[in-house]
Amino acid sequence: MIELNNISKWYAVGGNRNYVLRDVKFSVREGEFVSIMGPSGSGKSTLLHILGLIDEPSEGYHYFMGEAVHLLKEKQRSNLAKANIGFVFQAYHLIDELNVYENIETPLIYHNVKGSERKAMVADMLDRFQIVGKKDLFPSQLSGGQQQLVGIARSLIASPRLLLADEPTGNLNSRQGEEIMELFRKLNSQDGVTIIQVTHSEKNATYGKRVIHLLDGKIEKETQE
Amino acid sequence: MLKNYFKVAIRNLWKSKGFSLLNILGLAIGLATCMLILIYVRNDLSFDRYNKNFARIYRVDADIIFGGSHLVLAAGPDPLGPTLKRDYPGVEQYVRFHDRGGLMVKRGDENISENRVIYADSTLFEVFSLPMIEGNPSTALVAPHTVVITESMARKYFNSVHALGKTMIFNGSDLYRVTGVIRDIPDQSHFHFDFFLPMSQDDQSRRNFWLGGNFNTYILLRPGTDPATVASHFEEMVNRYAGPQVQQAIHSSLAELKAKGNNFGYSLMPLGRIHLYSNKVGEFEPNGSIEFVYIFSVIALFILLIACVNFMNLSTARSSLRSREVGIRKVLGSLRKALIFQFLTESILVAAASLVLAVGIAFLMMPYFNQLSRRHLRLGLFTDPWTIPGLLLLMVLVGGVAGSYPAFYLSGFRPIQVLKGKLAAGFRRSNLRNTLVVFQFFISIVLIIGTIVIDSQMDYIRHKKLGFNRDHVLIINNCYPLNDNARAFKAEVLQMSGVQDATMTGFLPTGGNRNDNSFFKSSSLDQNGAIQMQTWTIDEDYIPTLGIGISAGRNFSRQFHTDSTGVILNQAAVKLLGWSDPVNKKLYTLKQFGSQELIAYHVVGVIRDFNFNSLRKEVTPMGLFLGNNNGNLAIRINTNDISGLIGRVEHQWKIMAPGQPFSYEFMDDDFNKIYQAEERTGKIFVSFAIFAILIACLGLFGLTVYAAQLRIKEISIRKTLGASVSSILSLLSMDFLKLILIAFLVASPVAWWAMNKWLQGFAYRIGLSWWIFLSAGILAIMIALLTVSVQVIRVAATNPVNALRSE
Repeated sequence: MIELNNISKWYAVGGNRNYVLRDVKFSVREGEFVSIMGPSGSGKSTLLHILGLIDEPSEGYHYFMGEAVHLLKEKQRSNLAKANIGFVFQAYHLIDELNVYENIETPLIYHNVKGSERKAMVADMLDRFQIVGKKDLFPSQLSGGQQQLVGIARSLIASPRLLLADEPTGNLNSRQGEEIMELFRKLNSQDGVTIIQVTHSEKNATYGKRVIHLLDGKIEKETQE
Repeated sequence: MLKNYFKVAIRNLWKSKGFSLLNILGLAIGLATCMLILIYVRNDLSFDRYNKNFARIYRVDADIIFGGSHLVLAAGPDPLGPTLKRDYPGVEQYVRFHDRGGLMVKRGDENISENRVIYADSTLFEVFSLPMIEGNPSTALVAPHTVVITESMARKYFNSVHALGKTMIFNGSDLYRVTGVIRDIPDQSHFHFDFFLPMSQDDQSRRNFWLGGNFNTYILLRPGTDPATVASHFEEMVNRYAGPQVQQAIHSSLAELKAKGNNFGYSLMPLGRIHLYSNKVGEFEPNGSIEFVYIFSVIALFILLIACVNFMNLSTARSSLRSREVGIRKVLGSLRKALIFQFLTESILVAAASLVLAVGIAFLMMPYFNQLSRRHLRLGLFTDPWTIPGLLLLMVLVGGVAGSYPAFYLSGFRPIQVLKGKLAAGFRRSNLRNTLVVFQFFISIVLIIGTIVIDSQMDYIRHKKLGFNRDHVLIINNCYPLNDNARAFKAEVLQMSGVQDATMTGFLPTGGNRNDNSFFKSSSLDQNGAIQMQTWTIDEDYIPTLGIGISAGRNFSRQFHTDSTGVILNQAAVKLLGWSDPVNKKLYTLKQFGSQELIAYHVVGVIRDFNFNSLRKEVTPMGLFLGNNNGNLAIRINTNDISGLIGRVEHQWKIMAPGQPFSYEFMDDDFNKIYQAEERTGKIFVSFAIFAILIACLGLFGLTVYAAQLRIKEISIRKTLGASVSSILSLLSMDFLKLILIAFLVASPVAWWAMNKWLQGFAYRIGLSWWIFLSAGILAIMIALLTVSVQVIRVAATNPVNALRSE
């Protein structure tokens, strides 16, 4: 599904290159659950953003769903991401001005899904996550765990093949975090969604079947369960 | 999708109520002011358009240079109109107006003074579109002793518009039959008469005297006639008709006169230009001026621009708060196009809200504005088919212009940067925003300088030494009805306590009669020694009553019998005549135009120049002649019991002129009237300038709020390090002060240029001194500082921990 070949990312600082990622090379098959670990500044988030097609590597080859991403134009890339990728953020990133229902609905609007269909799909999703009662509340009225639940519901509404999660439990207490991780496991095993998560926590990393350890922009080691 | 955008837009507006209010209010005030100005300007531009033949009507104006005077008249001689129609097929019809003063109209037992009276040719209704309610337009003004009145006059004198065939009594005993009742003349007309009398009754209209200029002559051209062709015949016409009369009058041919720099010509003034472009001698009413139409239009545009700039600045400044939304939407799959569309929707929504508010504000301000401008303007929301589409267009335009920059700016955010928490990179570094702030203050400072200059000039005019003392002078109007009692009345008034002096004359510096004539240095009527000057008939008390200074010779005196052929010149006349020792020199004039008989006047004295025209004009040559003119009685008073004195004067009037209306004025009021139009436009300018500055301040206030918000962390750190409130204030203010300083440097020369141009219109004017510019600069800085510090002090005074903890 994903193949990264010698991906590097640097920023020019003065006359020097400041590497964030250096010769990263790995691949992910459909249906995998991968965790990326590493200390602060090791390049985890950048790698995730590159995987999510919202950031571009400075060099290297990147294949996603059979497409050579490094050759695509901005708009094509954007469409590819829109169709296949869902994002979950540490800070949830819900739109404050929209309520739960509307937040979940938004990606469908950008997918040009018809109003009646949207209604059915959102209702379905609310049901599945058991948040029907909260559909009219605004993000500020929810707890962190609930917000993240909405964030995940929103990321799944367009049925992506790949779910990218950037420290999804980082702002949650341990009990909420566990619930979210259990949800991820279920999504992966029952629904077959490919998941790549970035995490700090050893415990959460174990939910993944593969763990990629990053250090200073390089893959230090890879462990498999 | 649109629904989603609207929802977000409305919730966003609601969430930041302060910001939205600032934005909507600023834009609404701007739009409202702009609307008022546009209505005013449109009103000014639509004068006389009620005439169906608007585009084909022209006034024939005279342009005469003679004896050192240049006369530009809104009128011509009596044969002009009939001759044009007879000789030139392109002229379909003509109508002449002759202003012969007001009337006393009898209602019951009282005589009411009416001034809106005019003699007009019976062709009036063929040229001008004055719809007749009753009567036959083609015959109404044919027979003598008939009158056409307006409907409000019909109501006033007959309590009904049905006045056809009724009789009116003018000037005590003259009977007139009403042969027509017309609708009131629209506000937007360059003349407003209530009584039209037939020209057939005016003997002057048949004199065939080409050297006069008392008839305002309008011609209606046939469709398709080029006015330039008609005008090209004027010279030939002058030569054919006026030439022989000139020869006869002053024994000199037109060609000789012209060779000596004199001129005798006519020109066509299109009806549509009279109100805004014509300011000639003999206009019916003071006209508007295109200058102010331009000035106001520019101010309207400026105010709208300032309001739009506010909107742009506030929106982009607030971008940090929206950037996260942009990032999320992009990650969720939104294209840039969709985001631009979303933000434009929002700004048009704000524009729509502002527009609704603006209509309300304009509606509330309209009465005040009408009071200020002396107009009867209406919003005309539903009466004028252009208003609503115009407003909608304005809304989309303002929303689009104001929203375009924020839309492109915000939609251009890169999602990862935003989501990583790197907010909109540079609030302070935005050059465009800085430029816009400079632009706003540039306009504000220009307007402040304009305000100060206009105000100072008006003040200068009000307090200028005019060469006569206009304070404490009571004027009794229209003393003609006193007839033979005039002298006795004056003597009685002089006896009253509180009266210091009194003079009986119609010629007053603040208005009233004007008359001029040609004089010659030699009895051979040599053109080289000719002078055209004002000839005023006064009595011997005139000079002391008005406190006019004598620079040589003496005042008139009844003891010198030869003073009846004496003249007192003003210094301007002496200068033009080129005399170093004028006293006892002689001036000659024709006893009557057309006759050969001369009158010689000897110079009795010279008075210091006093202003009897608008201060826009230099003092022109003048000669004072001793005689009897009962136009007005001007009384210099020295009492505080003014109403008591007026009561006694009125009592005396009723004895000596029974049944005649008594009215009075004060000379300084009369003087102020001359500048009323000027003052009005000045006041309108000042009010609009204040609005513009207010809107700019609203914007600045909003910007500071967000500047402070973005720098709150910096401020907090500085505070924990021990910075004082004042040092933080100066830190934040400095950014804006720099911009205002730049605006000031750009604005000063521009304002200097513009105001210098405006002042050129005044013969007597203030100088543009440096303090005007300095105080405008200081004022702008003060206003800005005040606006900024309100917010900054609040931020600076907050507990730094609050800000730092959230990190």
